[in-house]
Amino acid sequence: MPGKNKAAYPFLIIAGSLACLVALSQLNYSFSFKDFQFRKLDMLSDIRTSPVEDKNRPALAGNTGDGRPAAATDSVVKVKDSTGAVTTLPNPDAHHDYMSYTGIMQYAAAQYGEDGAGMHAFLQALADLKAGKRKKVRIAYFGDSMIEGDLITGDLRDSLQLFFGGQGVGFVPITSVVASFRTTITHTFSKDWTDYSYKKDPPANIALGLSGHTFVPSSSSWAKYSPVKKPRLDKFDEVEVLYGPSAGTGITVNDKAYTLAGNDAVNKLDLRLDTGQQGMTIKYASGTQSPLYGVCFESDNGIYVDNYSFRGISGVELGHLSADMVKKMQEERPYDLVVLHYGANVLWKPELTDYSWYERPMTKVMDNLRNDFPGTSFLIIGTADKSYRKGDHYVTAPGVEALLSVQHELAAQHGTAYWNLYAAMGGEGSMVKWVESDTPGANKDYTHFNRLGASKVAALLYKAIMNEYGQKNNIQ
Amino acid sequence: MIDINKLLNLLRYDPNDPVLFNSAFFFYFFAVFLMCYLAVHKSKAGRVWVYTLFSLFFFYKACGYYVGLVILSAIVDFNLSKAIHRSKDKSFRKTLLIFSIVLNLGLLFYFKYTNFFIGMINDMTAGHIPLLKLILPIGISFYTFENLSYTIDVYRDEIEPVDNFMDYLFFLSFFPKLMMGPIVRAADFIPQISKPYFIESNDIGKGMYLIISGLFKKIVISDFIYQNFVQYIFDDPSKHTGLECLLGVYGYALVIYCDFSGYSDMALGIARWTGFKIPPNFDSPYQSSSITEFWRRWHISLSSWLRDYLYIPLGGNRKGKVRQYINLGLTMLIGGFWHGASWNFIFWGGMHGSMLAIDKVRIDYLRKKQIKFSGWSGNLLKVLGVLFTFHFVCFCWIFFKASTFHDAWSLIHQIAYDFQPEIWPELYTGYTAVFWVMILGFILHFMPAKAELSLEGFYAKIPVAGSVAVMVAFIWLLVQVKSTQPMIPIYFQF
Repeated sequence: MPGKNKAAYPFLIIAGSLACLVALSQLNYSFSFKDFQFRKLDMLSDIRTSPVEDKNRPALAGNTGDGRPAAATDSVVKVKDSTGAVTTLPNPDAHHDYMSYTGIMQYAAAQYGEDGAGMHAFLQALADLKAGKRKKVRIAYFGDSMIEGDLITGDLRDSLQLFFGGQGVGFVPITSVVASFRTTITHTFSKDWTDYSYKKDPPANIALGLSGHTFVPSSSSWAKYSPVKKPRLDKFDEVEVLYGPSAGTGITVNDKAYTLAGNDAVNKLDLRLDTGQQGMTIKYASGTQSPLYGVCFESDNGIYVDNYSFRGISGVELGHLSADMVKKMQEERPYDLVVLHYGANVLWKPELTDYSWYERPMTKVMDNLRNDFPGTSFLIIGTADKSYRKGDHYVTAPGVEALLSVQHELAAQHGTAYWNLYAAMGGEGSMVKWVESDTPGANKDYTHFNRLGASKVAALLYKAIMNEYGQKNNIQ
Repeated sequence: MIDINKLLNLLRYDPNDPVLFNSAFFFYFFAVFLMCYLAVHKSKAGRVWVYTLFSLFFFYKACGYYVGLVILSAIVDFNLSKAIHRSKDKSFRKTLLIFSIVLNLGLLFYFKYTNFFIGMINDMTAGHIPLLKLILPIGISFYTFENLSYTIDVYRDEIEPVDNFMDYLFFLSFFPKLMMGPIVRAADFIPQISKPYFIESNDIGKGMYLIISGLFKKIVISDFIYQNFVQYIFDDPSKHTGLECLLGVYGYALVIYCDFSGYSDMALGIARWTGFKIPPNFDSPYQSSSITEFWRRWHISLSSWLRDYLYIPLGGNRKGKVRQYINLGLTMLIGGFWHGASWNFIFWGGMHGSMLAIDKVRIDYLRKKQIKFSGWSGNLLKVLGVLFTFHFVCFCWIFFKASTFHDAWSLIHQIAYDFQPEIWPELYTGYTAVFWVMILGFILHFMPAKAELSLEGFYAKIPVAGSVAVMVAFIWLLVQVKSTQPMIPIYFQF
């Protein structure tokens, strides 16, 4: 026997619920519990007139509002040249808005002198290399997961080597979490290396290598490197094994025995590989298990870009590197340019706009690095755009411009070069475009570039460097 | 303030914002529809017209003027089927049937596969034929299959064709199942049209249960896990450790099930509230202890359609063992291809087809030797079977989800060679909520059916005011967890 017809119920339930929800939407309440902010119900959001968009831009203290610091009105900065005479250098802030300028800005700071200003030393080194007055130029490119797997650096190296010569990937650590992702070298290794790093402090007698890692072998540890079938990466020529203090550690390289002996913070074993060999296998053989840093692949001239990626760091961690190790590294493997590319891990709270907590330790890191790499040019790369979901769509995180102003300040204070990647990408909202384009250039986390996007960034950076190079050469 | 222009715009098709059951717009649409439907519910013609017009409008909101395709295919198949039924000439009937099949599949192929084949020709001949700018009309895969089953059933004299064109258009455009299925058979549906709009307490309870649990599956489980974890992993598998990739795959297994079955449940619930019973499309598929069982529980309407209109006409199991395995493999390959024009889907279908064939061998062997497991060994085998089946299905999902073969392999490579279990504490801190929702999802999936029934019973008993309170509280909860970006259901693209 069928029951009562309840045909009206669905309508009553839905209409009743709708009426209650619309009524609730009218209440202007909002409450939070512990850290959780409850969202307001708004059943009419689709048909309401939209309020004026809150730009939510950070107030950049001390700035003129157009992105130029208030103190930047001076069009020149006074510094000493190599003879000790005082000279004046143009102040880039007087000519460009650092927040929107897409080229490289070169700052000078009195304490580092004219030679240490911006990228002057590096551009001179490039000119000398091109003119055959020197054999090699090296770049140490530090970054976080944005450059993991040789992203950005791989393409940058390729473009630079095409123009200035050189063959080889440069530095490769003993093991790496992204070895399988790296397409510029084939790299495999045994699992039994002990990896000391910023995240796992080494014992007091072991220093961290420049990459932020130091690897100590076990009795059967090995690492294998093979070239890949790509131009300038298809054979090994000059190989250096970088290692820490060692009192006679036996290793084999392609089954040939060598002894690592050296008391310095960084020591080097130079090898020349037979080009007929299809790779290089390094194995621990005997003696004390001394720390190793990595292996470098070069030919006898040209330009080299070393990828020093470390996942999840902000740049502050570079303060853990010992001055002794950095200086010794500079003797064994001198760098003409140090690139610092950070930001993604500083922006973990997208709406945060006060980055003084980052600026303070980073200033110290910059002071130390400037001292430990005397005569080396520095390039600070401002953070890429990072978007987060706000309301119905993704927008540039307010923290991005706030962080950029801190990074710019670090560059200006330390007389380094500065390149605003955010501006080069297209400024506000550009990450959304990169992610949502038909051929996406970035991942759905609205933070990381994919391979295509990384190539694009490398091309933009290469162009910016070559512009400076061209200008310098025209001046000369 | 209410903006009139915005209100009018809402009634227009917006390609960036197709209507979904889980949108505020649908709530209003559904309320207005129910009001009109109730107003005319005593007249059959009134019900048919109101339902059909609202369905067509819903379809227009979802995919613009492609709504014309539904009407056009309804006209063609309605008339062809009538002609097939009237004719006594066997070969003429066959010609008409073939014409209907070619036309329906032709449309489907044109929209869905043209670019795939152009790409393939370009790859093989190093040619440069430009790809066509085609947008896949939403739901075309579903109504094409419904059209085909209807015409074939009429041809087989299994059903009488519909007399009234509006009835047929109503069947084809029925909005609850129009976009994402399930595939409904005319034989099941059309007799229900003439019945009066009469629903009882248990229909209210069942409908409420299906709508609420469907929304919960779609928004709380599927969207949440997908947006906050799974999409990062599949976007760039090689950059994640094996442990992350493995959890990403488990997460995706839950995402695709909750997404699709959640949407199906909503369709079933809405239909139920308007007096139509549609058979369930999913039956806790991950509880299956063999792949054969999995396909009896997963996307039931598609698997049974493929069985009745592809596997059996191919010969089924009537032409010897070898042919049976070939037929199984072929059916699954075509099933895979139906999901999308890509080698990934074909590979996915091929893997399932092969496993089904292997499973058939196992079942036949056990039957022949009359081996039966019972007691603890039976239970143990069942548990092992569930674990194996789940992992096999998950393995296949990798190919289903990854955008390219290369991505799929790099994900598998990470799991096999770069597992790094030591990162678990870090991972857990980063994705705590995601992992708990995943655990909740799996627990709910393995709950006995009794729990569902008691919830349905509860909904059936409470008065209207109680139902309103439950609904409001539930929607308020949804708003708290709902990702603000509309998530297009995964099955939208098929």
